[in-house]
Amino acid sequence: MTHKSLWIRALAAGLALMVAASACSVRPVEPAAQPGSDQPAPAAAEKVVVRWSVWGSAEELASHQAVADAYMAAHPNVTINIEHTPWDGYHDRLKTLVAAGDPGALADVIFLGQDYNRYAESGVLEPLDDWIAKTNYDLSDYWPTVIERARVNGKIYGLQRDLDLRLLYYNKAMFDKAGAAYPNENWTWDDWAEAARELTIIEPNGRIAQQGIGMETGKWSMLLAQTNGGYLDDPRNPSRCALEDANSLEAVTFFAGLIRDKAAMTPADLKQIGGDAAAFQQGRVAMIVQNSSRAPTFNAAGMDYDVAPIPIPKGGARVNNVGGARFVMNSAARNKEAAWAFLSWLQGREGGQAIYTRRGDMFPILRSVANSDDFLKLPIKPDNRAAFVVEASSVRLFTFGDFPEYDEMNDLIIEPNLQRIWGGEAEAEATVRDICQKVNEFLKQNGYPRP
Amino acid sequence: MNNHARFTAFRWRSDQQWEGYVFLLPSLIGLFVFSLLPVLFSLGISLHEWDLLTPPVFVGLKNFRNLFTQDLIFSEVAANTVFFCVAIVPLQMALSLLLALALTRRLPGAPLFRAIYYMPVVTTIVAAAMIFQWVFDRNYGLFSSVVWGVGSWLNAPLAPPDWFNNGFWARWAVVILTLWKNSGFTTVIFMAGLQAIPRVLYEAAAIDGAGRWQSFRHVTLPMLSPTIFFLAIILIIGAFQLFGESYVMTGGGPGYATMTVVQYIYQSAFSYFRMGKGAALSWVLFVAIFALTLAQWQLQRKWVHYESNT
Repeated sequence: MTHKSLWIRALAAGLALMVAASACSVRPVEPAAQPGSDQPAPAAAEKVVVRWSVWGSAEELASHQAVADAYMAAHPNVTINIEHTPWDGYHDRLKTLVAAGDPGALADVIFLGQDYNRYAESGVLEPLDDWIAKTNYDLSDYWPTVIERARVNGKIYGLQRDLDLRLLYYNKAMFDKAGAAYPNENWTWDDWAEAARELTIIEPNGRIAQQGIGMETGKWSMLLAQTNGGYLDDPRNPSRCALEDANSLEAVTFFAGLIRDKAAMTPADLKQIGGDAAAFQQGRVAMIVQNSSRAPTFNAAGMDYDVAPIPIPKGGARVNNVGGARFVMNSAARNKEAAWAFLSWLQGREGGQAIYTRRGDMFPILRSVANSDDFLKLPIKPDNRAAFVVEASSVRLFTFGDFPEYDEMNDLIIEPNLQRIWGGEAEAEATVRDICQKVNEFLKQNGYPRP
Repeated sequence: MNNHARFTAFRWRSDQQWEGYVFLLPSLIGLFVFSLLPVLFSLGISLHEWDLLTPPVFVGLKNFRNLFTQDLIFSEVAANTVFFCVAIVPLQMALSLLLALALTRRLPGAPLFRAIYYMPVVTTIVAAAMIFQWVFDRNYGLFSSVVWGVGSWLNAPLAPPDWFNNGFWARWAVVILTLWKNSGFTTVIFMAGLQAIPRVLYEAAAIDGAGRWQSFRHVTLPMLSPTIFFLAIILIIGAFQLFGESYVMTGGGPGYATMTVVQYIYQSAFSYFRMGKGAALSWVLFVAIFALTLAQWQLQRKWVHYESNT
């Protein structure tokens, strides 16, 4: 991020408000039933335009386009207009449009990857409950806790497209070279740590040639959930920090121990290399925890790898990330009927879900699609597709944080202090206590727990 | 063609001043709409709580008060910014002056080196910071490879610093990147200042028996003092606004070691939806920079030497 773009954003926000001030009188009229009112449209096949905003790389955009094309082919009277913005800037653009006070400027169906709760509470999003009831849309096919997590004040404002499921990716060639056995679904943390140490190569002068595990910020914290610990006692309405509890501390010390032995990379080192996927691809680490989004890159690089479920501690639980981006509807959509029809098709077994899955873009949010050949028999690496299903069955609400100020608390208090533990600059137990003191203070300042 | 007549015909008349403003108007409109108005607007925002999504709520000076009374990291972030200012400004000044002195000599290849030293200035900071991430990679980076190489050559246990896991070294990594990036600009200004010093002063000094050091101390430095003053102001403002260098290379970490006020402004406003806090931070930063600059203007009388004063 440069100074310039910071200023441009600040100016954009300023301008947006000016526009808001002057635009009150020219706000578009509420949903017009028939667009193009000067030509009486034939009642049977009324022309409908649905605006759909998405982010994505060229490949992802191609998938979105394929989905839109399939929908238009099945619904000749509907035109889907894709509004594409790259991931960087996508959500800033949304915020600016909302701040401009002109909800009509937002697309009808929006792919939303951040700040779902905030948008839902601000009234920008259409509650979907009535639409779901009216059209008998099936919620039972979703993985556990997904729908529960979509509710804000009891209402559903968006349907999650995929599960951002994390798996253990391992470099088979490195395992073969070290003569180590491949990870399997029975592995415990002890097996994992042993393999990580075996796969770490330190030259006599201290230079580290290869490390066992690379877990980024936000990935290693799954270990907390596996011990039934977490950052907070309640991720949605926290009353206190739980990081100093014995089971949380077990996870922190496990990871700190791996780093101390150089068997795991620090998150700072991973960031500096360009992320865990880059480190994995460069052969700097033998194992990483990743979702399926990087598989195409590994495949293109011709890597010899596979996936396994993530090892769990003795007496611990298998858990995985329930996160993932959602499709939401603009509450000021011009034709809500058409927007819902498209949105529910996107989330349908035969519609968007199947197309995205077949293209290898994601792990499906619908259990039936994940258990179908569309996913299990997909002829692309990783081979061990069943591992995804094993992990998906364990999906539960992560004990991190799921409230508007969570990112701020995490970025400003938790993460920086943990970094000092990983870097060997601070001792785990005392630092964790210090973090909790600050977190509790932060919660109090922000009015948590809420009644 | 009578040029003289033409010039008189188009001579500026005191009753035609409005025409000047017409020509200035596009710039003035731009300045007003894109700079002054947003600046004033941000002052208004700083008195509100506003998350961009719901209407702003007026809270008076609460955002400012909170920064100084209950903010969990403001003091650390402010201290970092002061550190960067104290570390970068004198080092960059000294380094650039040395470079400028070397480059103004008529040595073979000097023009080439001038171009090389200026190149980082025109490089995008994001690209530069990413490259430096690799340069500082402890195991395979350019810098570290040299250290590892020397170590194995000497058969000594020589190891490069762990730049990104250690707060002390991470800060110096940011300082080194900033010096590399900006010294070209400072050097060019110093070169201009050096070339403006009349030869006769050096000749007079030589006749009076001054050596190299003495003529540097008593001719070059005083004659350069306006340049030094100008650069001090520019560099201090720049150091207080440090952002891209640390944000891209270290992300503000490890811990809070390299997090600057501007990064905090950016994150508060655009990541955590606290526009009021972000705006308040901006104004605190502005007041700090303004006060420092004002103080420098006051102090300059004591040490800045203008030729016309002699």
